[in-house]
Amino acid sequence: MRRLYSSLVDGRGFDLCLIGIPLAFLIVLSGVPLIYNVVMSFQAVDMFSLGSFIRPWVGFENYRQLIAQPEFWPIMGHTATFLAASIAGQFLLGFALALFFWTNFPGASWLRGLFLVSWVMPGLVVGAVWNWLLSGDFGVFNFVLRELHVISGNVFWRSDPTFSLWSVIIANIWLGASFNMILLSVGLSSIPGDLYEAAELDGAGALTRFWTITLPMMRSTIGALISLGLIFTLQQFDLFAAITAGGPSNSSNVAQYWAWDLSFKQYDFAKGAAISVIMIVVVMLASVYYVRSTRHEVRG
Amino acid sequence: MSETYRNRLLLVIALLLAAIYLFPLYWMYITALKTGSEMFATPPSFWPDDPQWSIFPFVFQLKGMGRFLWNSVVIASGSVALIAVLGTGAAYVLARYRNVWVDVGLFLVLMLQVLPASLMITPIFVLFTLTGILDYPRTAVILAIAAKSMPFFIVLVRATFMSVPMELEEAALVDGNSRVGAFWSIVLPLARNGILVSAILIFMQAFGEFVYSKSLIQEIELQPSSVGLNAFMGPNTNEWNRIMAFASIYVTPILATFVLLQRRIVSGLTSGALK
Repeated sequence: MRRLYSSLVDGRGFDLCLIGIPLAFLIVLSGVPLIYNVVMSFQAVDMFSLGSFIRPWVGFENYRQLIAQPEFWPIMGHTATFLAASIAGQFLLGFALALFFWTNFPGASWLRGLFLVSWVMPGLVVGAVWNWLLSGDFGVFNFVLRELHVISGNVFWRSDPTFSLWSVIIANIWLGASFNMILLSVGLSSIPGDLYEAAELDGAGALTRFWTITLPMMRSTIGALISLGLIFTLQQFDLFAAITAGGPSNSSNVAQYWAWDLSFKQYDFAKGAAISVIMIVVVMLASVYYVRSTRHEVRG
Repeated sequence: MSETYRNRLLLVIALLLAAIYLFPLYWMYITALKTGSEMFATPPSFWPDDPQWSIFPFVFQLKGMGRFLWNSVVIASGSVALIAVLGTGAAYVLARYRNVWVDVGLFLVLMLQVLPASLMITPIFVLFTLTGILDYPRTAVILAIAAKSMPFFIVLVRATFMSVPMELEEAALVDGNSRVGAFWSIVLPLARNGILVSAILIFMQAFGEFVYSKSLIQEIELQPSSVGLNAFMGPNTNEWNRIMAFASIYVTPILATFVLLQRRIVSGLTSGALK
């Protein structure tokens, strides 16, 4: 007893205790649901069997039915479009802003930090604001585009099936670009300045310096950021709930919203679990890449 | 072109960029202040003719925002307390040692960080129903948020602990402190700022959390502001000034906190996310 106590206060036990409790907590509340999710995706779950552990086993039936649904492939396509367009948009806008603020004038770092409000705001609020900005008849976004002569008539961003997904993408790019910018700024400022001086002496122009120094030096930051972007974008749910709710007729539905919709709107928990399993595998693969590129960064 | 002239020009461009980028926020506040007819004017007015300040107390009363905000605060505080108590210790151990087990632990933590809430909610809901935790919906949400956000907190705070020199702790041990004593009176105070900043960041996230609250809390008296805002926005709503007033009341405390602590939050975030 005494030994145990002294180990807890002054030895290995202290460390094990500090790491053990949170780890147990995470295993119970993240690990168990994760495994249970896989189990549930092979079971027949309805409102009546929801409250019991033992349910009929149906094998791959849920997956088969899920893929056979007519909306499965369109929704997967939307998910891919949403991911690619959001990540590309966030990254390019973030990189452009980061390069501009890199010129380092007085007040640059404070102003740069201010952009991050788009990222710390509740997703629902961002969604509500963009819902109003993108409104068809009275939205200020349409007004600005009209004044710039980009469009001639109003675009019904949220209710036109061609644009509904893009209305969420636009909001998501706005939300995430600032985060990209901040992390890219950190990467930029860690490039040693004498590399540029040397290149300049050798007569390299601004564009050459960007291609031969900035981009290669930023490679691991960019890799980490792209996979982080993939992870964050796959987590994006609030904007869908606040702007289009997946509609009209699934034209802006994506896998992560569909999973929730199946479970909590249609009470089809088994199919919700099945689509979750598919998407979690995708996220896991992305995060392995993320972990690898950040570790690369540490070793330098 | 002289240095000061160039700096001034760049500052003007930067201010312009910030103004364009933050326009949606401006539009939120301005719309809230507009009258019902001015809101739908074409071309839109960029400054309200007759600012309706009374809309803020009106919406606050109408929607019972006091309750919504209180629930948000309860959920966010509960999550932060749980995360800070458990996560700080884990971050310390993961920062203090370098071996295979720490690498495995770190890898697990990073993997858990990436699970999307909207995908995890299905098994969490079913498990909480089975175990009866769902009878205490706010506690259920706190537990779910804690599990979701703790890995992020651990990653951020670990970076802080890495910057606390190990020699200080060793000196305290040599002077006769126990491990607990050294941790409590040397390491924790030195890492206080980093822990605080990470806790604030987690608080902001939990304050705006939506998926878990929407799915786990059925009683309207227990729902946080995010769910309230979502319910306010029907599919064909035209009460945009009121919705924007709701959003403004909800988001202003977060924005104020962020602007005040901006420098610290940004540096805390960047030290953790990439290293």
